[in-house]
Amino acid sequence: MKSIGLAAGATGVLLAIAGCGPAPIDPQRQMGANPYLPPIHEYLLPPMHVAKVVGWNGATPSAVSGLKVQAFATGLANPRSLYVLPNGDVLVVETGGPPGPVSRPKEIVMNWVEKTAHSRTKPGQRILLFRDTNGDGLPEQKTVLLDHLHSPFGVVLVGNDLYVADTDAVLHFPYSTGQTQITAPGVKLCDLPGGPIDHHWTKSLTASPDGTKLYAGVGSNSNITENGIQAEVGRAAIWEIDRATGAHREFATGLRNPNGLQFEPQTHTLWAVINERDELGPDLVPDYLTSVQDGAFYGWPYSYYGQHIDPRVKPQRPDLVAKAMAPDYALSSHVAPLGLVFYSGTNLPAHYRGAFVGEHGSWDRTVLNGYKIVYVPFTNGRPSGPAEDVVTGFLIDGDKARGRPVGLAVDGGGALLIADDTGNSVWRVSATSGT
Amino acid sequence: MQSIDRPSINPRSRVNLLDHPLHVMLVPVPIVCFLATLVTDIVYWQTAAMQWANISAWLLVIGLLFAVLAATAGLIDFFSEPLIRNLRAAWIHGLGNAAVIVLSIFNALIHTRDAYTSVVPSGLILSALVVAILLVTGWNGWTMVYRHGVGVRHKESA
Repeated sequence: MKSIGLAAGATGVLLAIAGCGPAPIDPQRQMGANPYLPPIHEYLLPPMHVAKVVGWNGATPSAVSGLKVQAFATGLANPRSLYVLPNGDVLVVETGGPPGPVSRPKEIVMNWVEKTAHSRTKPGQRILLFRDTNGDGLPEQKTVLLDHLHSPFGVVLVGNDLYVADTDAVLHFPYSTGQTQITAPGVKLCDLPGGPIDHHWTKSLTASPDGTKLYAGVGSNSNITENGIQAEVGRAAIWEIDRATGAHREFATGLRNPNGLQFEPQTHTLWAVINERDELGPDLVPDYLTSVQDGAFYGWPYSYYGQHIDPRVKPQRPDLVAKAMAPDYALSSHVAPLGLVFYSGTNLPAHYRGAFVGEHGSWDRTVLNGYKIVYVPFTNGRPSGPAEDVVTGFLIDGDKARGRPVGLAVDGGGALLIADDTGNSVWRVSATSGT
Repeated sequence: MQSIDRPSINPRSRVNLLDHPLHVMLVPVPIVCFLATLVTDIVYWQTAAMQWANISAWLLVIGLLFAVLAATAGLIDFFSEPLIRNLRAAWIHGLGNAAVIVLSIFNALIHTRDAYTSVVPSGLILSALVVAILLVTGWNGWTMVYRHGVGVRHKESA
């Protein structure tokens, strides 16, 4: 009986230790240009804490005073990104990631946890087109623009050329204004790093202001090189793709999972939101919003937030760490920013002339973080103040998720659109006074 | 000394299949898995090639599954036969292997970390410690069988 008692006691101790870890700090300490960075804490068992999905059941997200939220579209199949065409038609990308191989027992558990954090609806692999025909801001028409895509995410229109970033290629489709369905087959402009692992699979896409170049976000193939450094070729980078030839180069590197690629309207510089690494503690490493400099290296995997070495990476590259740049603006840890849009419309109150960020929400933090839309004020093309919560209510009772925000866009009427993959909806946020 | 005290009847193994004690048939799996974990951990430490650390992670989980089965059979044998409980070697064997299981659970958790620190240094140290304990518990297990005839059927009753 002694050994049974011993084993039971040891198991109890083990569980106690596994649950241990530093208490999460106030996320406010990690917002802005100089986030507080606590010491590294490597877990025995990371606190896998994802919000249980309960759905909206007729409710809507809540917005701050002066703004109202309406359902733009519901009953979708995992809508993750949005794009508004010049005539006001709204493209909604329904998508889901490709299945990855299981190379460790851990991944069986992780896949299960991830499944509980997402909607049970089977993701679509298509792009829907919504049209508002009576000018009330809400769509009356819905068509399938493109179907049978391969984990699509980014969309951008340049003139009469529509580009769609599948997880493994940028596809080109001829498109004329008003078209509601594309039947012409897509032509591949450029391959992107895809399977078989394809850990971070969302390929964000935008075009340079002059329309000659495309920029694609290519996330890393692991959390922190646990699939081998050879799996990271061309990844954790923003690619610049020549629209005429399809030739590409790595515009910036060391960006673990860059999404929401956008050109800031005043300075015409490229910005993105980046999902930083996990499993170094509840408050490491802060995800961030940053301008992306041509040729810059932002640390991943060797270092974070400038030149803070990550001990999990071997062999290290001191030569790269020495030139690692710190990003511009921390959004606090594990918020999972996946959407970014600069607001230059006129519908929303004049207060909002900066950046909106869609935060999908944390999975490895005992106190959930993210699950909301924040506003980062900008002055002269630079962040100029603390981030403010704008749209919340995705969480109820502290740990149940009605939805999770992903991609953002500004519609023809100047309202903010939010893709909610877990809630299978698109939300429209506008000023209380107008439409 | 102990052989002088050897009882005329061999201690019986309660958990057996046609007189083949299950415990000794199960233990090779965790022993080999935990030994191999030390080898693949050392190779990972030297090469930083992730595949070796992945193999360690699988070996630990498979080893633990069979270790729990072997421990269950072993514990039932231990508690159902006073002649086994009277053996000093049985106590060393049991308590040592309980430590092996607990340390290996920790080790499996360490191995769920990502990349280098999933092995170096904590994982590697635990893997080596487990093998060191296995040498002692293995020796005592063999003492139980080859000196005291635990689970061995009497020739005269064969």
